[in-house]
Amino acid sequence: MLGLSGFASGEMTSLTESELSEVEGTGIGIVLEDFKFAHGTDIDNGQVFKIGGIKSSDGQDVEIVVNKLYIAGSSSNYGANLNPVNLGRLVNPFTIDVIDGNSIGVTDKAVLNIAAPTQVPQAEGYDCLSGVAVLGSGTCGSRPMTAEFAGERPDLGLQLNITVGSNQSANFNIHAQSAVIDGSYLRLWGDDQRRQLVGQFKLNFYSPELSINACSLDGSECGSRIVMSDFALELALGNELQPMFLDVDGSGNFVAEVQAIPKPAPGTIGSDGQQASSDPATWQFYNDYYSNPDYRSNLMIGDLSVGDRNYGATRVDGMLIQYLRIQTKDFAQ
Amino acid sequence: MKARNPNRWLMILLPLLAAAAKPAAAELSRLGDGDLARVSGQGGIYLSGDVSINEVGGPIQNSYFGACGEAGKKCGARLAYRLREDGGWFVLDDIRGSFSFEGLTLRVRHIDSGFGGDGELFNRDVIELGLPNVVRYHDVQFKLAASNMARPTDPGFQQTDLFSIEMQGDVTLEGNLLVFPTGNP
Repeated sequence: MLGLSGFASGEMTSLTESELSEVEGTGIGIVLEDFKFAHGTDIDNGQVFKIGGIKSSDGQDVEIVVNKLYIAGSSSNYGANLNPVNLGRLVNPFTIDVIDGNSIGVTDKAVLNIAAPTQVPQAEGYDCLSGVAVLGSGTCGSRPMTAEFAGERPDLGLQLNITVGSNQSANFNIHAQSAVIDGSYLRLWGDDQRRQLVGQFKLNFYSPELSINACSLDGSECGSRIVMSDFALELALGNELQPMFLDVDGSGNFVAEVQAIPKPAPGTIGSDGQQASSDPATWQFYNDYYSNPDYRSNLMIGDLSVGDRNYGATRVDGMLIQYLRIQTKDFAQ
Repeated sequence: MKARNPNRWLMILLPLLAAAAKPAAAELSRLGDGDLARVSGQGGIYLSGDVSINEVGGPIQNSYFGACGEAGKKCGARLAYRLREDGGWFVLDDIRGSFSFEGLTLRVRHIDSGFGGDGELFNRDVIELGLPNVVRYHDVQFKLAASNMARPTDPGFQQTDLFSIEMQGDVTLEGNLLVFPTGNP
């Protein structure tokens, strides 16, 4: 052994965090070609897909039977015709990458970045909400279906059957047509002070039609369909100034927290809040924080209709999360 | 650190092989790098699988884990990970069941056409994982939970089960997973 290991002359030392953050790694691109996923519950054919272990507030067992879950090509007619679809483009794929934190405002950190296809300049993109968008009509890279090509926008659907105790509910269906998640990402890194995993999650979800309805148990009779046309959700959970902390507390409960932005030191912001009476750097910091559209969440619904009634457009714009804490609670304890 | 030259081993091994292979008259010669570069692989790998995880009993027979038939004991595998120093644990618990598939393929594929015009722009090699069309699940289940201790046998153990998943039967999984490096190496 001594003879064999005689060749090793150098010793390996671990890379520091700042050295790692300099690494310009090439990431991995992932594309799913002609993809189709479907699973569900069909007791007669031995298919079962159940989510259990949840309790209602009065302690009854809640069982969710997933009757159908699918990811397939556009124009699936609410999951009746499942055709293949591509997810991600070869020139704009899903990516898993380690990026230099300094380039995204996370100082001297290596950041794990898991991202959907990116949004692109309008001249190269397609309208995110239109199922028939043409080149140059919007900022989404993923293309809608055409007569020749399946496109990169899947139909998604979920049919659930929720049972609380012995009460079985009707079937609950949710379908999204020609869905696009371009520009979504999950970024993870470590926080030195708290010695904890922190993250930043951006979810963009666009669909020309998101619909919800309820049907009888055998699916023969359905109630009115709630249709949200031109549905656009741009959700930002955590940012580089207020990252999201994920943890489990001492009693075994899951905690997700978005930290509040630090308060300005006394005297740094003038009593009238104007730039002239404030410390310039501090004023600029808060001005940037409040004016950065990337930190804000938006929800837009072009038209909400139930059955044959229209309720018009709904828009929640520019929501900024100041502080958020989500904690699970076990009713069994 | 420099890797040992593999040719050194060939130099030792080849005479031995040559001696053993005496009846063969032709001599083997090594392929040069240039010759190797011209070799184009045919086909790839075709896999069929049947994977079982803790279908019968747990890995540790103690007060918590046991055989799957024993009521009140867990038989599934447990995976716990912690996101903060001295913090609690995220747990994938009670993982068990089996799944089988036929015809998972793996190959290197050159793409220079298709994909709605992207193929021509791309013009590179990818690793293609051909999905098996159908994956058959047999009593696959797992639980997502949060726990204050890594192991259920640790003192003061408390756990909150968030939810459990149970899957059985055929799952449709069609298509090809294409993997390739991004950026400029």
